[in-house]
Amino acid sequence: MPERVAITGVSAITPVATTAADFAAALRAGRSGVRPISAFPAAGFETRIAAEVDGAFDPSSFAQPRKAAKLMSRATLFAVAAAAMARQDAGLGSGDVDPERLAVSLGAGGMGPVDLDMLQGQHAAILAAAREQEGGYEHTDLAAFARAYRALTNPIQGLRGLPNSAAANVAIQQNARGPNNTIATACTSGTQAIGEGMRLIRSGAADVVFAGGTDAMVNPVGILGFGLLGTLSRRNDEPERASRPFDRDRDGFVVGEGAAVVVLERESFARARGARVLAEAAGYGVTCDAYRITDERPDASGATAAIRRCLEDAGADPGDVQYINAHGTGTKMNDQLETRAIRAALGAHAQAVAVSSTKSMIGHLVAAAGAVECVACVIALAEQFLPPTINYDTPDPECDLDYVPNRARPRRIDAALSNSFGFGGQNACLMIRRW
Amino acid sequence: MPDDTALVTRDELTAMVRRVIAEVLVIPADQVRDDSAIVADLGAESIDFLDLLFRLEEVLGRKVPIERWQRFLEERLPGASYATAITTTVVADFAEQEWRRAAA
Repeated sequence: MPERVAITGVSAITPVATTAADFAAALRAGRSGVRPISAFPAAGFETRIAAEVDGAFDPSSFAQPRKAAKLMSRATLFAVAAAAMARQDAGLGSGDVDPERLAVSLGAGGMGPVDLDMLQGQHAAILAAAREQEGGYEHTDLAAFARAYRALTNPIQGLRGLPNSAAANVAIQQNARGPNNTIATACTSGTQAIGEGMRLIRSGAADVVFAGGTDAMVNPVGILGFGLLGTLSRRNDEPERASRPFDRDRDGFVVGEGAAVVVLERESFARARGARVLAEAAGYGVTCDAYRITDERPDASGATAAIRRCLEDAGADPGDVQYINAHGTGTKMNDQLETRAIRAALGAHAQAVAVSSTKSMIGHLVAAAGAVECVACVIALAEQFLPPTINYDTPDPECDLDYVPNRARPRRIDAALSNSFGFGGQNACLMIRRW
Repeated sequence: MPDDTALVTRDELTAMVRRVIAEVLVIPADQVRDDSAIVADLGAESIDFLDLLFRLEEVLGRKVPIERWQRFLEERLPGASYATAITTTVVADFAEQEWRRAAA
């Protein structure tokens, strides 16, 4: 019988709060973090709203020495800050764990340029090449592009786009010399990173894991990329009302940004150092649809199987679960199929379970989504309340569960599930249980 | 940096190099002394020199190939440990060489 996995510290950098304590208060208040985009001039974009982290929060203040921040994208800076805050929350001093027994498991994104600087650099090089070349702009003269890129691009810039940048920089900052995993499974990254972190503890590969996810896709390419796929809300005139999972009039998700880290510890290790335990990371289920890149299986069988496996992994029955933090993006397809999966996996008990989407408040944090939502479950357990689904006005006949509409509710919670589903047919589910 | 080569003094060049080193390492300019070792005293790592050369190109307004920097070090500091031997003065000497090369 492997030891249990304890959660001893959490952090959450979100569009509604930059500390876990403030995040808890925002969830209870049902506050929206969706606003007109401030990161770049979005006039002319079909979607001009997003959920951004407060500009007054400076994640680079967590990076030491200060020059280390030069090599970090916004997403990596969020991860570095989140890891530092989670470690502090766990009361884990530098001498408290053998660095080689300290692991990192982080969900990270990575679609094209990681920030505005990088985008502008590439754009400038293409323009310069186009000006130089003869015979019009129909093709890109790669030799001219190479000359312009060489002249305009700081060589160190590309390192900000390294896929494992977040996990590697967290390791450097935290002296974490054990296993170092980057999980890049789109919108399920954060959930899988925590699940795979649990496995590092159970297998004996580590005593402590900084597990979570980070993303920062509120940049022109991120907004355009999701927009072209038709997944984004265009409710530009009512930003705070735009993210409306499970509501009949939902029209897509709102891009969010941020990071969250949970500190996972082997039970005996946590006990030996007298750590305060917030909750148990009790179960993890993961599957792949093996069907389509963006469509889910119409019978939701992949998602259903992930939830079932998670329950099995935790040795739990459907009846043990009081709360589900849904993937709940606010797209037509996700919310219907997720409802179907919950019904299939929980059977008759689905009617008695409270299901909410915190994305209604913070938007979709993509690779960080599952990590932040895991922290929302830890908070719900610790404070015994159900975070609401805000903007829930009109029921959709295809979505017929208790979505905790609009107001947080007190509730005895012993176990919570957190769902994540992603492009590529990724399905993952975590169970967080009272310790 | 002014375009007219004749107007640039060695003092100005040294001050510019100190400013660039401070920018690259994100430290206060007054921490960068003429005899500071860029690696041992100021904490530079290998990629900081790529950043340094890129920024020198920007302020000098001309291309500074990394091969020339490497050759300069081999000739200037034969057999020395770069960690302690590359000082602000050495970088300023290189900047001056590049500046004169362009003016010639």
